[in-house]
Amino acid sequence: MMIKNWGRAAVVGVSALLLVACGSTADSGSSGSSGGTGGVKTDFGVTDSTITLGVMGDRTGVFKNLGEALIGGNELWVADVNAAGGICGRQLALEIVDHGYKADTAKTLYPQLEPKILGIVQLLGSPVLAALKQNLIDDNVSAAPASWSSEILNNPNIMMIGTTYDVEIIDGLSYLQQQGLIKQGDKIGHIYIDGEYGGNGLRGSKFYAEKHGMTVVESKITSTDNDLANIVTGLKGEGVTAIVLTTTPGQTASAMANNAALGLNVPVLGNNPTFDPALLSSPAAGALDKLYVAASSAPFSSKTPKAVEVATEYKAKYPNSPKNAGAQAGYVEGLVWQAVLEKACQNGDLSRAGVQTALKSLTSVGTDDLVAPLDYSSPGAPPTRGVYIAKVDQNAEGGLTEVAPLFTAPDASEYKAPHQQP
Amino acid sequence: MSERVVTERSSVLVRLRTSWPSVAGVAVLLLVLLVFPVFAGVAYLKAGQYVLIGVVGAVGLTLLVGQAGQLSLAHPFFLLVGAVSYAVLAGDSGDSGDLVGLGLPPLLAVIGAVAICALVGLAFSPVSGRLRGIYLGVASLSLVFLGLYLGQSLDMLSGGTSTGRPPPTFDLFGFRFANSDPAPTILGVAIQKQQRLWYLFLVLAIVAYLLARGAVRSRVGRAWRAVRDNEAAATAMGVNVARAKAQAFTVSSAFAGLAGVMTALWLDLVKPDENEFIGTYSITVAISYLAMVLIGGLGSIPGAVAGAVLVNGLPQVLTLGATEFGWSIGTLSPVLISAFVYGAAIVLVVLFEPGGLAAIGRRLTTRQGDR
Amino acid sequence: MNTFLQLVLNGLGKGAVYALLALGFVIIFKATEVVNFAHGSLVLIGGYLVYATKDALGWPGAAVLGIVSAAVAALLIERLLVRNARGADVNSLALLTIGVDVIVTEEVVRRLGNDIPFIGDPYDAAPIQFAGLTVFRTQLVALIVGAVLITAFFLVFRFSNWGVAMRAQAENKEAAALMGIRSSRVTATAWLLAGALAGVAVLFMATQDFSGAGLGRGTHAIALIAFPAAILGGLDSTAGAVVGGLVVGLTEALSAQYVSFEFSKSAVFLVMLVILVFRPSGLFGTRELSRV
Repeated sequence: MMIKNWGRAAVVGVSALLLVACGSTADSGSSGSSGGTGGVKTDFGVTDSTITLGVMGDRTGVFKNLGEALIGGNELWVADVNAAGGICGRQLALEIVDHGYKADTAKTLYPQLEPKILGIVQLLGSPVLAALKQNLIDDNVSAAPASWSSEILNNPNIMMIGTTYDVEIIDGLSYLQQQGLIKQGDKIGHIYIDGEYGGNGLRGSKFYAEKHGMTVVESKITSTDNDLANIVTGLKGEGVTAIVLTTTPGQTASAMANNAALGLNVPVLGNNPTFDPALLSSPAAGALDKLYVAASSAPFSSKTPKAVEVATEYKAKYPNSPKNAGAQAGYVEGLVWQAVLEKACQNGDLSRAGVQTALKSLTSVGTDDLVAPLDYSSPGAPPTRGVYIAKVDQNAEGGLTEVAPLFTAPDASEYKAPHQQP
Repeated sequence: MSERVVTERSSVLVRLRTSWPSVAGVAVLLLVLLVFPVFAGVAYLKAGQYVLIGVVGAVGLTLLVGQAGQLSLAHPFFLLVGAVSYAVLAGDSGDSGDLVGLGLPPLLAVIGAVAICALVGLAFSPVSGRLRGIYLGVASLSLVFLGLYLGQSLDMLSGGTSTGRPPPTFDLFGFRFANSDPAPTILGVAIQKQQRLWYLFLVLAIVAYLLARGAVRSRVGRAWRAVRDNEAAATAMGVNVARAKAQAFTVSSAFAGLAGVMTALWLDLVKPDENEFIGTYSITVAISYLAMVLIGGLGSIPGAVAGAVLVNGLPQVLTLGATEFGWSIGTLSPVLISAFVYGAAIVLVVLFEPGGLAAIGRRLTTRQGDR
Repeated sequence: MNTFLQLVLNGLGKGAVYALLALGFVIIFKATEVVNFAHGSLVLIGGYLVYATKDALGWPGAAVLGIVSAAVAALLIERLLVRNARGADVNSLALLTIGVDVIVTEEVVRRLGNDIPFIGDPYDAAPIQFAGLTVFRTQLVALIVGAVLITAFFLVFRFSNWGVAMRAQAENKEAAALMGIRSSRVTATAWLLAGALAGVAVLFMATQDFSGAGLGRGTHAIALIAFPAAILGGLDSTAGAVVGGLVVGLTEALSAQYVSFEFSKSAVFLVMLVILVFRPSGLFGTRELSRV
């Protein structure tokens, strides 16, 4: 009796499976069409009226604060472009997916997204980027990463926006030395998150230390280690005269709080992701004044006119969203795509290959000074080496005031990035 | 766990095996799985592959936890060891020449990786043999922490947390599991990399299933259950308790190692996690695997398969559905909904159906039969 | 030398909080033999209520509310779930609490949204310096509160009726029942007490001084580090919980400096592993006898 019904159950199960499966037919292997209006060549994500770009962001994972602002910046850019008549006679559209900073989710979402889009305006998260590296190459999809490591520049499909972490640190240390805060032969501590982000920053401080006879005391942490008391205690014992951070904002707060609490009180240098304005309302707020930030994009409160404009629009459109430099960074990603798409349109080729060709032909993409002019003609090298240097300021909106606008140290120009062609 | 015995129904199973309706059922199921790539897009194929990875891992874990009664949270560690071993055995020294890679044929590397995991599992048996219940559970958790540390420190093996290393493309006697031009077709659908991986994973999952079923029905399986139920009694019956325990841990680790190799091929990447909580080899994964075997019914092989479909498949399908059909429940993300569902499933299973999905399935078929 | 002393201070301060958490595991285990994997979510519930109500009630009121809610939440887990799974053995009940933990943690983290609130208002980030050393005020308060609570607990455990009942129940459940001890009440009190301890601990955990981070997934993770503390001390030993907590705090601080920081978390687990290999029931735990 049981036997028979086991068989029946199996058949029922199978037909259920069939039903489920049939509902999901979507073959991504289909090839795009050539031709279109005005003889512009197209393949994926471009119709006669629309250019569709993808966003693989984080709205629910560990970087949801930054992720939300980045997506906001992307959307502002699209709205601005469409209001001004679009690009190549077409309106822009975004296809946004949220991978929650999980590589496995992203790996499944990607094939669903890929056939619908020309390229990716924002790809957030180094584990995600690492997992999708081969896909981007296979499908020739160009992507602007929300990650600024020079380690990923060996992927020709990566469109780096601004300078990389290693260069940010070199510029920052040069600035500290110019100001007389550190000197030849000093010992400096570097606390870094092991991974693409922190490791790349460490490369910068090692390069700088070697050039200037300094020693680097390294401390490796993971992205969830938030209590750095034991590390700062150790650094104090070593007698460091400055601390470099490539950490999360929370870790920055802990480093700063302990720097003050343990009576070390040395200047601290962070780069773009180390600071978040939310730190100003944390208990560590009083201990942040020794923090310098070297960042390739302008701070939220930057006086650069375009930055002010973006910040104002952003606050008006997303009053409840977190206010951080992600807004401008997301907007800049768009501006670079805009330059690429306009160039590709001129060339009459809005296909993925056409995007690549256009990108490599750009030697000076202006972004209204949101980041330094970008040069994409030498593969493997960061497209710029300029940074903004800012210092924590309780009274500035967004918590940072610029102390040096767009600054490129001679050491940074000399530095050879890991995948830079000679 | 002793009451959670999934009774061996060998006699029933024997009859099942010989009865034609069940053979037909299995055949239809297989047929559907075989033509799945024809009607499913790449995204769903990717989700399906992920479920198959879960199946291999969960089947291994249910042998250990359910059959042998050893609670282990160390599964992600063995996934990591398997993935890294495969990359080391089959890989090359990388672009900059600072990786260890032996360049063995991929098939040999898979076998090697599974063997390495088995040995590492065996090496842990002095600990796993001495500890019981929750003590063993927490002790095994230390392997996950150790894996994180070693993965980060031994970057000549693991590729490091910055970039990781690419796993070599699998190939079988010259047939590469990668895109090719021209590609063979089935019913007009090109069989490219993702379709090939699906078939590879399907074969591995079936092999894993059959091996596990074989183990459960054999003398080995009886020894495991005897030890689980009562060590002293098992000894009295002539079972070598220490050996049976070590055996179970070794076998389970080998299954996890295979799942690790599959994970590497699935992600196109071997990369140690950046922290211990979120990631491919993290504590979250340890809990997910435990959830699979618990929801499926401890010790039940078909149950483990069902658990893997639920725990690994649900978040993937919900995520795809959210973008494709706009599925949503308020502001809850698909990942969050899945966490709620499987958290609740664990609670409900312990409260109402200790035999898990396997017992529910059995009950349903029995009741129908009585009608 | 100063570095060493400073590290010992850091380690003891954190160890006190680990001890409070470990004691929670132990009390429940002693009464019911269930290992409560949902301890981390009790911590989150307490912390969340402090955060949600401190503007309205003021910090002291919110702190009390937080402690009470964590205690009530623990009681609810016991009454609604654990108690009703009569057929299940203790290991399955431990797994049940994992299910509860997954749900509660995700929900609290979702409610927190983009906030990572700090809830140690009266003492956080106000270090005291003397003789070249720094004492973090949070750690100092935690040490004092921990010492008082743990002493009080030991006194109650030794001399009160409840303490005697609980020890009797831990010793032999059937015999205790025959002696007229109401098992259900003893068990309920144990869960209530463990929840309250979690509610107290979180007041120190979600601070700049202790964890460097506000309430969130990280706070939940710290509760996991307290697991080795309970296990290496011996799950059924209250004294073991205290010793275990301090051992974990010190191991973490010293190995961070003298081996490497990234090793320090593994170090805690390795120390536990080594102890378990030699003493499978922890330092002070009762040896399990196998009965035939």
